[in-house]
Amino acid sequence: MAGKAATTSTTYSPSPTTLKTKAPIFNEDWVRPDGRGFHQCRPAFFRTGAVNAASGSAYAEFGNTKVIVSVFGPRESKKAMMYSDIGRLNCNVSFTTFSTPLRGQGLDNKEYTAMLHKALEGSIMLETFPKTTVDVFALVLESGGSDLPVVISCASLALADAGIMMYDLIASVSVSCLGKNLVIDPILEEESSQDGSLMITCMPSRYEITQLTVTGDWSTPKINEGMQLCLDACAKLAKIMRSCLKEAALGSQE
Amino acid sequence: MVLPNASEDLSTEMEVDAFRRLFPLRYYECHLVESIRPDGRALARARDTTIALGAVASASGSALVKIGSTTMLAAIKMEVMTPTMESPDEGCIAIDFHMPPICSPIVRPGRPAEVAPVVSKQLSDTISSSGMVDLKELSLVSGKAAWMAFLDIYCLDADGAVFDAALLSATAALSHLQIPAVSMNDDGKIVLMSEEDGERLAQEPVNKEKRKLALRSIPFSLTCILYKNYILADPTAEEESIMETQVTIVLDSSSQLISFYKPGGSVLAYTPAIQDCVALTRQRVKELQSILDEANSAMEVE
Repeated sequence: MAGKAATTSTTYSPSPTTLKTKAPIFNEDWVRPDGRGFHQCRPAFFRTGAVNAASGSAYAEFGNTKVIVSVFGPRESKKAMMYSDIGRLNCNVSFTTFSTPLRGQGLDNKEYTAMLHKALEGSIMLETFPKTTVDVFALVLESGGSDLPVVISCASLALADAGIMMYDLIASVSVSCLGKNLVIDPILEEESSQDGSLMITCMPSRYEITQLTVTGDWSTPKINEGMQLCLDACAKLAKIMRSCLKEAALGSQE
Repeated sequence: MVLPNASEDLSTEMEVDAFRRLFPLRYYECHLVESIRPDGRALARARDTTIALGAVASASGSALVKIGSTTMLAAIKMEVMTPTMESPDEGCIAIDFHMPPICSPIVRPGRPAEVAPVVSKQLSDTISSSGMVDLKELSLVSGKAAWMAFLDIYCLDADGAVFDAALLSATAALSHLQIPAVSMNDDGKIVLMSEEDGERLAQEPVNKEKRKLALRSIPFSLTCILYKNYILADPTAEEESIMETQVTIVLDSSSQLISFYKPGGSVLAYTPAIQDCVALTRQRVKELQSILDEANSAMEVE
């Protein structure tokens, strides 16, 4: 937050920040700001081959959340690195200055970087590229909520596009707990007023989970319900990702 | 001269891809004598160019520009500042150019591209010296408040002619910019005017309705490569890495020279070559102007 304080000392955004009244989320008849059902995801759009300069890349758009992931390599590891029998995975997640409502927040996200690495690691056959590194770089063009799950799914697609050997595609979905309700694939507004969040990244065809994060206030039955919601959504998401890859493969054949 | 001859002999036997990688300069020369480039373009032809306005919903103005596969995303966020004592009636435009690690294999996290700050400075210089934007238009309350326009340009895919694409995206974003309607509240702060607030008369509107900037002459640029007697317009990254001498010329809509940039290189630029480059740029300006006009009129229809 130090960076933010420095910029606000000279300039400020004219948008009202605190005046907005919170939606009565705890009501039974509360509707989501974008009119979706509680268990309905935003329409997902994927496209591979977004960046020509990269070995593989993908663009993903879920509502207002827009990300690009480029994959480079396998290429020579940094000189300072020790010899390694298996390949290395190197990740980075950054945001554009205009991605967030307030300008220039969280440009280089260390937490997301670490989580992206952990989410992908389990799905990649690292032994297929010994002594070398695969770089996975993500840029969030616009942040509209559920950024990390979108980045992770998009990164998996980019890895597939680059021809990196994997056990399965990785799909990732999160749910937010808002009072009594569980809402899937939350947007920014919902994330800011959530009581808890749960994110699953999994390999749907193997029914294996590579990462599960739970934060906030959850009861055991709620966790079960949330996990089931996420797993179902992941399976559907993986189908969309798979069809995107097939489309790209067909397109290149013609 | 053993090596060039060796490559010439090999050119009939070797696979094209291998020859391209081993003797890139020879490979290009074989094309250049036929007045064509490996991607099928004539020497003086720029790549296909597209502009999409309003690509970023959270910004007041934005543009996605593609020249070939070089891709730029520019967006403007408007903030309020106190103008300086010297120019109480003027706002400010802060231009920043970024090359994130996704755009090129050369850039890695923590090790930013060397060209990024150079392009950043060139862009600010070009836009300010072209007089494209009247900074007085960005004033809100004389001496008290003015707009600070943060124009950030991200390179999403770097495949040559980075400056040309960046400048085009910057000017396109400025042409798309809608200055939001704002009013001053009791604390002397500028706030956005929402529809309900419009009726409340306690607030004094400063900028009553959304408006666009009145842009004067718009700068456009073309980068050319000089190699021997050849001039290659709008080079790709591969061409830039093989033939190093570049000339970037910026002209405005009325063909006035705004900037001329030749950062070293082994080929000396003689007057006729420069004149040829300027002529190519003049042509390109017309092309780009019509593409930009088209993009803007498409926005108005919607």
